[in-house]
Amino acid sequence: MATELKTPGADLSEDYRHGFHDSEESYVFKSAKGLNREIVERISSMKSEPEWMLAFRLKALELFRAKPMPAWGDLAALSEIDFDDIHYFVKSTEGTEKSWDDVPDDIKRTFDRLGIPEAERKFLSGVSAQYESEVVYHSIREDLEKDGVLFCDMDTALREHPEIVKKYFATIIPPGDNKFAALNSAVWSGGSFVYVPPGVEVKTPLQAYFRINTENMGQFERTLIIADKGSKVHYIEGCTAPQFSTSSLHSAVVELIAMEGASIRYTTIQNWYRNIFNLVTKRAVAYKNATVEWVDGNIGSRLTMKYPAIYLMGEGARGEILSAAFSGEGQHQDAGAKVIHAAPNTTSVVTNKSVSAHGGKTTYRGLVEIYPGAIGAKTRVKCDALIMDEKSASDTKPTMKIHEQQSTVEHEASVSKIGEEQMFYAMSRGLSEADATAMIVNGFFDFFVKELPMEYAVELNRLIKMEMEGAVG
Amino acid sequence: MADGQAVAKMNEVAPGTTRRVVVDGVEVLLCNVEGRIYAVEDVCTHDGAPLDQGELDGKCIVCPRHGATFDVTTGAALTLPAVLPVTTYPVRIEDDGIYVDL
Repeated sequence: MATELKTPGADLSEDYRHGFHDSEESYVFKSAKGLNREIVERISSMKSEPEWMLAFRLKALELFRAKPMPAWGDLAALSEIDFDDIHYFVKSTEGTEKSWDDVPDDIKRTFDRLGIPEAERKFLSGVSAQYESEVVYHSIREDLEKDGVLFCDMDTALREHPEIVKKYFATIIPPGDNKFAALNSAVWSGGSFVYVPPGVEVKTPLQAYFRINTENMGQFERTLIIADKGSKVHYIEGCTAPQFSTSSLHSAVVELIAMEGASIRYTTIQNWYRNIFNLVTKRAVAYKNATVEWVDGNIGSRLTMKYPAIYLMGEGARGEILSAAFSGEGQHQDAGAKVIHAAPNTTSVVTNKSVSAHGGKTTYRGLVEIYPGAIGAKTRVKCDALIMDEKSASDTKPTMKIHEQQSTVEHEASVSKIGEEQMFYAMSRGLSEADATAMIVNGFFDFFVKELPMEYAVELNRLIKMEMEGAVG
Repeated sequence: MADGQAVAKMNEVAPGTTRRVVVDGVEVLLCNVEGRIYAVEDVCTHDGAPLDQGELDGKCIVCPRHGATFDVTTGAALTLPAVLPVTTYPVRIEDDGIYVDL
């Protein structure tokens, strides 16, 4: 693979291969910049939503206006967000296509370049592709449909399965949770809806792909996954955006519900261009003997603030959060995990690994809370940071609130630099400095990469290698 | 408090509103749900801060900080991030006075 390496110190923006930008000429609708009541009403009426959803959106808009920006985190970066300089709703096509051939050519080319149809043919149970604010292509395997598995975009779910949506929507993340959840609740569009009936196992992953194409756009998808009793599902999402000189905002809300004995794995690989603000609220509940796993990879963006959470609500529930972050020049990956043990004999594992290079910064911000009465709860938190050079930085901010004495809590953290001895050893075996560095970093992320489907693992290794090239020399 | 002092009068808590009172050192939120008064401890079980600036929507009080919602008639936590129920107290109305039994 050494032939793929470029000169150390090369401009990384050249290597962001998802940085191309398509024409917006044929778009159906693009809202003016800024946010007001009329835009929210327009979004709701264009989608022909029921009254209760419009009322929900308008209430959320009030909450968004009333809520202050976070008083913690990277305040300097957060202050760069100009809410009046964003297009809140951009509709590229009239509807969602079921046949790949019917997707408009320019959008099809984009997803072809990103490898989506190829991935679908190879190993996926269903695919959803969101371009700007709405889903443009969607398919699900027939056998899953026969089993009663529902997989569609949220707009369609609201039209076709209103009773399920109304029952669960925003019960895990209410609009008042934080300013960005309120914003998403007011202007949400697209995202995925999954319902797996009791006892059904979806053996291959469902996938969604999110693409921002418009400069200064906000993408606010909303995802709700419900795994009924004893069912099992794996959902994967990937995200990219073009290279722009000014920033765009991605602010998603993701809610997962794992009923008794169910299992949900949610894998995210985010590879945003470096001026995207990625401020996402993700939360799951796991009832009795259920399992929820977040597998979360963060590369790129100007600032990511994302703390996937699991509420272990029933006895024997299990949660696992695996995350990996890479932060390069001008970037801050402020990521972490939250686990709430609210029932006896619940277990959780949090593993976080981050690399900062070229002056990038990574922060691990985590919370583990064990409620009174959660007897026998066990948790293990491990976070490791690797700092590549003098300009880069890493912070670890773990919080533990333990209210039950009969529980087990383990925490382990390390911060390290690439060891001279490791480098010397690898280079003495004939590797170049760049190859040796990439090998060590890939080894550092290995725990994470091996949890990914093969296509994603290969892509992530390639991205990490590309990001590392500038880190040497 | 069986024969104690009224903590508020009915006309001080209009339907659809709340009023914060202190009963024997405990902060209590009186909630008027369609003319009937319910009392809950004025503490969100999520973060331990007060609920009194929150909106009463039907029988639900919504925490002003993170949107956790409680049913004031039963105390049940209806949405995350709250998990545990909020404490409820029996209420008596006598001669237009509201009495809370801790």
